[in-house]
Amino acid sequence: MTANASPPLLEALDVSYTYPGLTPTQALEGLSLEVKENEFLALLGPVGCGKTTLLRIFAGFLRPTKGSVRCAGSSIEGPGWQRGYVLQEPSIFPWMTVRENLEFGLLAKGVAPAARRVVSDELLGLIGLSAFEAAFPKELSTGMSKMVEVARVLATDPSILLLDEPFGALDAQTRARMQDALAGLWERRRKTVLFVTHDAEEALYLGDRIVVLSPRPGKVKAHFAVDLPRPRSLETRFSAGFLAIKRKVWEATGTGP
Amino acid sequence: MASPRVRRGSVALLALAVLYVIAAQVGRGRLPDRIWMGAHYVENVQLLPTWRSLAEEGAFLLESGILLGSALVSTRRVALGLFLGSVAGIILGLLTGWGARAESLADPWVTLFRFTPALALLPLYVVWFGYGEASKVLLIATNVAVITLFGAHHGVRGVPRVYLDAAASLGASRWLRFRRIVLPAAFPSIFTSIRIAAGLAWVTIVVAELIDARMPSLGYLLALSGAYPRVPTMLIGIATVGGLVLVFDLLALLLHARATRWMGRAE
Repeated sequence: MTANASPPLLEALDVSYTYPGLTPTQALEGLSLEVKENEFLALLGPVGCGKTTLLRIFAGFLRPTKGSVRCAGSSIEGPGWQRGYVLQEPSIFPWMTVRENLEFGLLAKGVAPAARRVVSDELLGLIGLSAFEAAFPKELSTGMSKMVEVARVLATDPSILLLDEPFGALDAQTRARMQDALAGLWERRRKTVLFVTHDAEEALYLGDRIVVLSPRPGKVKAHFAVDLPRPRSLETRFSAGFLAIKRKVWEATGTGP
Repeated sequence: MASPRVRRGSVALLALAVLYVIAAQVGRGRLPDRIWMGAHYVENVQLLPTWRSLAEEGAFLLESGILLGSALVSTRRVALGLFLGSVAGIILGLLTGWGARAESLADPWVTLFRFTPALALLPLYVVWFGYGEASKVLLIATNVAVITLFGAHHGVRGVPRVYLDAAASLGASRWLRFRRIVLPAAFPSIFTSIRIAAGLAWVTIVVAELIDARMPSLGYLLALSGAYPRVPTMLIGIATVGGLVLVFDLLALLLHARATRWMGRAE
């Protein structure tokens, strides 16, 4: 961590987390991780390995039981817009229109209505939902709602995106489309992204780097650099390079041959 | 959305009326017309008045202005009590729901009031606030406040965590989260409690007016009709109260539907 030229924007140092309760559950154990600026890091692990816990720690909703988490060099003390967090569960506000959802972060920052509108116009165009600006979320599909949630986080221009299995609830086709949309979004608006998923292919398709977590209590099991060219496409998914890394990742997750 | 429901409701009411008329015609001359009132017999009692005697009684009550005057007075009391009670109950419910400390403070009091029937408070209120309007309105307000307090409290408590987390993550202050997340998310629960409270307010007013009986009021009209006894007057009084409850409920439903257009469908 000292040898590298660019300092990590987000880092976890020897983080452990135990959920309190009658039967305390240790979700993370001695986990260290760093995300460099403008890097798309995919965090891959089986269900229940503490991926979400780690993301909630980075988002500022949980304090590590042991170890520390830092963002841009300073300790994370609580939630904040600088770390745009998209929850795993649907969290689009159903009582607000799509535009109001997109503008919520700016409203919280006290940005004037006219300036909010400029940003939401741009985001609506970016996710292709301009026609739905005045619609309530009940009119959107699950995939569209998720894109609104991602775009909503982008409105305040955070330095980091924390995405928790955003496309977990989608069918394969929609999922692939959403991945392309997210990749496109990311290429136009470079951000540091920490993307949690349990899907190796998704991690490979989107990530610059993959960190594989072990089953509970989660700790880092393996690292992979994904040096596939961008923009990636359907061709990428079936390229020899992609499949070669996929094989290695599958082996590392313990599900390979 | 409303029209098939309104149509079905009207058909049901009409069917009830037709059944009643048939029953009254069948019972005419067959039912006893002499009843024991505890101390003496009363003659010429119509247990099931025919539609003709109901119409005559209705015409008399309308022409004399008794029915309209009573309905107006009672409605005014209910509306005032409902308004005061809802405002107080909702404010308290929001406070206790949103602030953890206030809850522990308010909990025993709320429980105490919740399980205290309106009648139990009535003598106390009469002593405290006199025989006039204040005691009746405050009695309604108390009952309404307890119900709406619970509605608001549970509404706030039931706001899904994800929305609060998402809002906090977007940088929303506590106040903004309260205004833009908690209030709209708690709204359906609050509104349901207002509907229940409106029904209860009518129950309370009839009881309150039976005890401190004074004309004009629907409660006293019912009390008088019981003393004679005059069943046609009773039935018209009961139907009037029922109709007014229905009107209140429909108004509440309309407001509810307008305010929750964002939901998939209004209950």
